[in-house]
Amino acid sequence: MTTVEETTQTPVPEGHVRLTIDGREVIAPKGELIIRTAEREGIEIPRFCDHPLLDPAAACRQCLVEVEMNGRAMPKPQPACAITISDGMVVHTQHGSEVARKAQEGVMELLLINHPLDCPICDKGGECPLQNQALRHGRAESRFRDQKRTFTKPIEVSKQVLLDRERCVLCQRCTRFSAEIAGDPFIELLERGAHQQIGTAKTADAEGWGAVTPQGQPYQSYFSGNAIQICPVGALTSAAYRFRSRPFDLVSAPSVCEHCSSGCAERTDFRRGKVMRKLAGEDPEVNEEWICDKGRFAFRYVTADDRITRPLVRENGKLREASWTEALRIAADRLAEARDNGGVGVLPGGRLTVEDAYAYAKFARISLHTNDIDFRARPHSAEELDFLTTNVLGTTPEDGVTFTGLERANTVLCVALEPEEEAPAVFLRLRKAARKAGTKVVHIGQFSTPAVDKTFGTLLACIPGEETNAVLGLREHAADVYAQLGEGGVILLGERAAEVPGLLSTVAGLARETGAQLAWIPRRAGERGALEAGALPTLLPGGRRVDDTEARAEVAAAWGLEALPELAGKDASAILTAAANGKLHGLVLGGVDPDDLPNPELAREALARAEFVVSLELRRTAVTEYADVVLPVAAAVEKSGTYLNWEGRPRPFDIAIENTGILSDCRVLDTLAVEMDTDLFTQTPQAALADLDRLGTVEPPVAQPGWTIEFEGEGPPKSPLRHGKARLATWHRLLDNGSLQDNEPHLAQTARETVVKLSTATAQGIGVGAGDPVVVSTHQGRIELPAEIADLPDGVVWLPANSGPSTVRASLGVGHGDLVDVRAGGGE
Amino acid sequence: MTHAAQETFGEETVREAAEIIARYPQSRSALLPMLHLVQSVQGFVSPEGMRFCAEQLELSEAEVAAVATFYTMYKRSPCGQHLVSVCTNTLCAAMGGDAIYAKLREKLGLGERLEGNEETAGEPGEPGSLTLEHAECLAACDLAPVLQVDYEYFDKQTPESAAELVDRLRAGEAPAPSRGPGLRGFRSAERQLAGFFDGEAALESVVDGSSQAVETLRGAQIAAEHGWVAPEAEDVPIPEVEEGAK
Repeated sequence: MTTVEETTQTPVPEGHVRLTIDGREVIAPKGELIIRTAEREGIEIPRFCDHPLLDPAAACRQCLVEVEMNGRAMPKPQPACAITISDGMVVHTQHGSEVARKAQEGVMELLLINHPLDCPICDKGGECPLQNQALRHGRAESRFRDQKRTFTKPIEVSKQVLLDRERCVLCQRCTRFSAEIAGDPFIELLERGAHQQIGTAKTADAEGWGAVTPQGQPYQSYFSGNAIQICPVGALTSAAYRFRSRPFDLVSAPSVCEHCSSGCAERTDFRRGKVMRKLAGEDPEVNEEWICDKGRFAFRYVTADDRITRPLVRENGKLREASWTEALRIAADRLAEARDNGGVGVLPGGRLTVEDAYAYAKFARISLHTNDIDFRARPHSAEELDFLTTNVLGTTPEDGVTFTGLERANTVLCVALEPEEEAPAVFLRLRKAARKAGTKVVHIGQFSTPAVDKTFGTLLACIPGEETNAVLGLREHAADVYAQLGEGGVILLGERAAEVPGLLSTVAGLARETGAQLAWIPRRAGERGALEAGALPTLLPGGRRVDDTEARAEVAAAWGLEALPELAGKDASAILTAAANGKLHGLVLGGVDPDDLPNPELAREALARAEFVVSLELRRTAVTEYADVVLPVAAAVEKSGTYLNWEGRPRPFDIAIENTGILSDCRVLDTLAVEMDTDLFTQTPQAALADLDRLGTVEPPVAQPGWTIEFEGEGPPKSPLRHGKARLATWHRLLDNGSLQDNEPHLAQTARETVVKLSTATAQGIGVGAGDPVVVSTHQGRIELPAEIADLPDGVVWLPANSGPSTVRASLGVGHGDLVDVRAGGGE
Repeated sequence: MTHAAQETFGEETVREAAEIIARYPQSRSALLPMLHLVQSVQGFVSPEGMRFCAEQLELSEAEVAAVATFYTMYKRSPCGQHLVSVCTNTLCAAMGGDAIYAKLREKLGLGERLEGNEETAGEPGEPGSLTLEHAECLAACDLAPVLQVDYEYFDKQTPESAAELVDRLRAGEAPAPSRGPGLRGFRSAERQLAGFFDGEAALESVVDGSSQAVETLRGAQIAAEHGWVAPEAEDVPIPEVEEGAK
């Protein structure tokens, strides 16, 4: 008998165990939690605190099951979310065990004792795990006859996150998420016994230390919305969504975030043509189940009052509304005129879908007969263009760096990239990699930012603008990092690398020399797609070079033309210079803010001087003031399309809000092209993508081997100075003055404090202490902010690029690595 | 990081904090004695005190608040010169603990209803000021009803004896406890709990003080006389713990 049994049993693979759940024999990987194994087998065990991406806590006790080991029952029911499976284990869930069922009912009854049962007025009602499970596993009537515990409601955990403590079941998902995933342990379980509650140092002050002025660290986190989303009851709500809607009134559409180059999966919930909220979508390859607060809360720009819904044309110096027919005719006529008289430059901006970027690329070549097109509405260089062509173009998740690849890397070197501010999903992966897989994260930057601490990282501090030397010095001064890069290392580069001469080529050289993988992580969602779509002066769609005769002929043939413009185009700065000099007569702009451009003054001059300016825009902007024709275009939720994220992974999304009557850029350009007697075949995003796909891609040019450092001009800047001069470090923060964050006051209040950062010695040098006003100035203007002491190199100051009064480009006309004057402020 | 909290506490406390931290392989473990240290300086755990601990241990203030609000031994308002803890757990309560507590509340002029865990009579920190709390089990049931002053035992109390004790404390006296070393005030006791015994002699007087009571050992004595031993524990299997689980 025994032998027969043994032979008929399926063998247990290495690293697996055999157990029984509810009488069903299961083979599962060793070390798995009972609740996960059961889940996979389709056996549902109720739970609140359990979350597959958080460490087990066994806090809520809702998942109690009966467990037998070695033929003996464990004396009490056990939490399925915290016990790992083992060979020969027998599990009885509530489906088969009276003990488990009773235990779960008991837990539910206790959880509900102090719960207000206010589902009819609770935001979570209708999508609440507590509501659902209470109805399924709980009693119909409560036996509790006494008064329930009440709290002041709600308390502000942050300006965005509100807490109704009486609804909380103390599962600690929010505290665990904040401590484990985000690394922001500013929310905790306070008090004890019946008074136990979630709170911050600030709420602890207010509640327990009534006599003392409320103070203490608030819950400041770029990821706080995730804590709200994973709250299994209605305890945490956002100020943005609280009392706004009912889940059953909402229509949900899967979507992709438009804010950064990560391309996080989202769910957009809308009602009567208006987005009510966004939630994190699930994509294990990209964002797992998390999104940043910008991705979650910044969507009301779409319904801003200054939204343009009808075309505008300038008449006698003033813009007036016009019909599409009239606006397009004027635009087409005047663009053709400008094209024939001197040429038209195209600045599509960095926030387009692949389809829209392709339409701009095609419009420039076919309708405007030019290669003067550049999506880079930010500091850029010819070196960057080379770098993008040889190192970034054509990489895909199959052959390049990926989110999951970061977890497998032994070392990740971040150069001129502030992941938490510029690509939050990348930051979360880096933290996970460091925490779970021991990945070493090294940052070449200027000071210990929160991301350095939270990735358990090492900072290699350098003078801004001298990152190139820092990279060159790695082999000598950080031999361990250099060696590890060769053993499964990854290098990540941020957008400000383009501001440092020689940096991109040097890093590319470092990657070739060590064998490390290299990825470029731009800040904006559309940049990677625009690169592949050919919205650059030297590149045609599909990675074809303008200076390659065959490639040009191939594209011309596919587009049904005899030839394409041969001359390499001008980059964004050159386009603006030419327009300012009167050499280019027309400009076509997508979503571009002059103050983001390397020289805002030049940009305004160009816009003013150009004979004819067409702006495709969502809202009235600085460009609108100069535009002769403004054509309204659709926001991300009003159109379909594809973002290409920094990995080179297509992130297609469908239209969420239909029938707005607002067209996407590719459709507008297609119609405009028709008015100019040319055909783009980009009437719809689907058509545009099909056209681009038919064209196909070519093998990207092979990067030249060897260690080349090609930077022109003066070479690396000299070391920091005295006499009131300092070198400026600056980059964008996640939450700042960005126009896509408009109309969201609660989100804005969770931004980091706007300060100027400098070292103790630098501060002493100008006679200021922490909190004292400091003036940073150039010949163009000044910015005055309170000082914060940080571990920057001496002679360096840091300003947020576009936060509050700190509008570096617009006010000072300088950028990362440039010289500024610094002195004590106030008293004027 | 602001160092405002450090200014409140001074360099000596910063040095002592470093000493506490050095006792543990992980700095976070030092939080409990650190909070006692903070109490020894201010007579309670103030928000500045929490910030001080957070800065010294590189924790967030919320993490410190979580611990400070969990334990009743960390006081959230300034305490008196002495802390009087009356056990009102089941046995002591039945033996007269509730009556003692009621008597002391009345005597100290505290209202009928308790607000919070403890209340202070007199100007906190001034000589003769007292903080009264009702305590959970003080681990001296065999000597019930008990109370503690600055965590030193006064065994087998009555409402009258407790009232007299309180009178003497308010008069600035330091009556000898039933066992253990003499009273030195709440803040000194907190200093000892933080692990600082000022001077070798003081350490010995604490450690060597008679802290056992005859009643406490009586059960062990009887067991020894009869040769009674506890039964062997059954070999209950313990579930496997995942390797490297945090």
